[in-house]
Amino acid sequence: MPALIEDAGRELRRIVRINEEIKTVVARAFKTNLMAMNAIFLAKRAGQSALGFGVLSNELRQFAMDLQKQMAQLREMTHGSVAKLTALLRQARLSRVFERTRNESTGTGRMLIDEFMKNRQNTADARQSEQIAAHNRRLTQMIADTAQLAELGGVLARSAKIEAAYGGPFSAALTQVSSDFERTIGEIQHSLSGLGRQQVD
Amino acid sequence: MKTARVIYAQGDHRWLVVARDPSRPSYLIDTNEYLVAVGDDAILLDPGGTEIFPAVFSALSTEFDPRKISQIFASHQDPDVVPSLSLWLEFNPQIKCHISWLWASFVPHFGGSEETYVAIPDGGADIRVGGQRLQAIPAHYLHSPGNFHLYDPQAKILFSGDVGAALLPSGEDALFVEDFDRHIRHAEGFHRRWMGSEKAKRDWCNRVSQLDIDMLCPQHGAIYQGTQVKRFIDWFAQLEVGVLRG
Ligand SMILES: [Fe+2]
Ligand SMILES: [Fe+2]
Repeated sequence: MPALIEDAGRELRRIVRINEEIKTVVARAFKTNLMAMNAIFLAKRAGQSALGFGVLSNELRQFAMDLQKQMAQLREMTHGSVAKLTALLRQARLSRVFERTRNESTGTGRMLIDEFMKNRQNTADARQSEQIAAHNRRLTQMIADTAQLAELGGVLARSAKIEAAYGGPFSAALTQVSSDFERTIGEIQHSLSGLGRQQVD
Repeated sequence: MKTARVIYAQGDHRWLVVARDPSRPSYLIDTNEYLVAVGDDAILLDPGGTEIFPAVFSALSTEFDPRKISQIFASHQDPDVVPSLSLWLEFNPQIKCHISWLWASFVPHFGGSEETYVAIPDGGADIRVGGQRLQAIPAHYLHSPGNFHLYDPQAKILFSGDVGAALLPSGEDALFVEDFDRHIRHAEGFHRRWMGSEKAKRDWCNRVSQLDIDMLCPQHGAIYQGTQVKRFIDWFAQLEVGVLRG
């Protein structure tokens, strides 16, 4: 029996942990979006001295929207994983019953069930395990891409902090806002690297 | 361990029963599975739950090639009746399952596809096995709202699902009813509680009284033979059913 089948229950629990982490990132991406809108208004009020900050705020808003889209796709992928794993769990359960059937059968029955199980394992189980492995590889890749996107967010937040220093009378307010960006995006990066580790484990 | 026994044989037309299993775990209700084989074709009646598939498969295989089972008859939707269908379908995806139209979209939750199910209309239907014509006899509300028994006019056997069922104490595992009066005590509480409708019960008694029956084969407990069949129908006709306390 492929190792994946035996681990299907553990896999399912892992997907649940991933989903929980995804929820955290989604909430923070939403927060980043709101913060960016706020920052855009603030930059408009600050006028000439916050032009660079305004540009970066727009970029941060775009970043938040891209991240939300990316997270929606990740969530879809984990839903796909749950469906595939459920099928595998069902197969695993049937396999156990067939195993018992083989042990209880003699003569023709034994021969038939032996032959049947050999074919079954070569096809259904192996195919499903392969599908799950491929799905998992795509999930890992997507998490890595998302982590890269978050990296960009971090750079934007740091640049915004530097720009804030030139904000004249608005400097303190802009610095506050850019610190909030930095913290929230830092949390997102933390969650995403957690997700990456889940995939490796 | 379950064993398969032949209860009717005439040429290549046979009825096998995989009778009760004293060694099953006690938390599972004990069931009988029947196979009607005609030549190279066969239908399995109420195949049972997933847990008993190994016992049923191995017992049947000693008497009949399980690859030749082309149909399954499910009297109703219960967990002790249908779920092993998913394993039979793994073994042979071509198997068709006859079940009341009422359950035809519920039971696929156990497995199978659109092609698997043959919906039986309320009035019943003929089911062909090899050269023989079996009849699905309406038994609605006894106990399931979409419920059928299966009659074999040639063998004069009626498979009666949960009707006629007896929950026998351990040690009493004879295949056939020996002492009717003693036996029926173990059937009384079950029928009072599980059979919900007086009217359905009267309809059924009338309907099966008109059939020529040598053996009445329930899904639980022992088989009624000869004069016991009429005695059972008469007993059931006068029993008050649909009561919470027996
Ligand atoms: Fe039942
Ligand atoms: Fe039953």
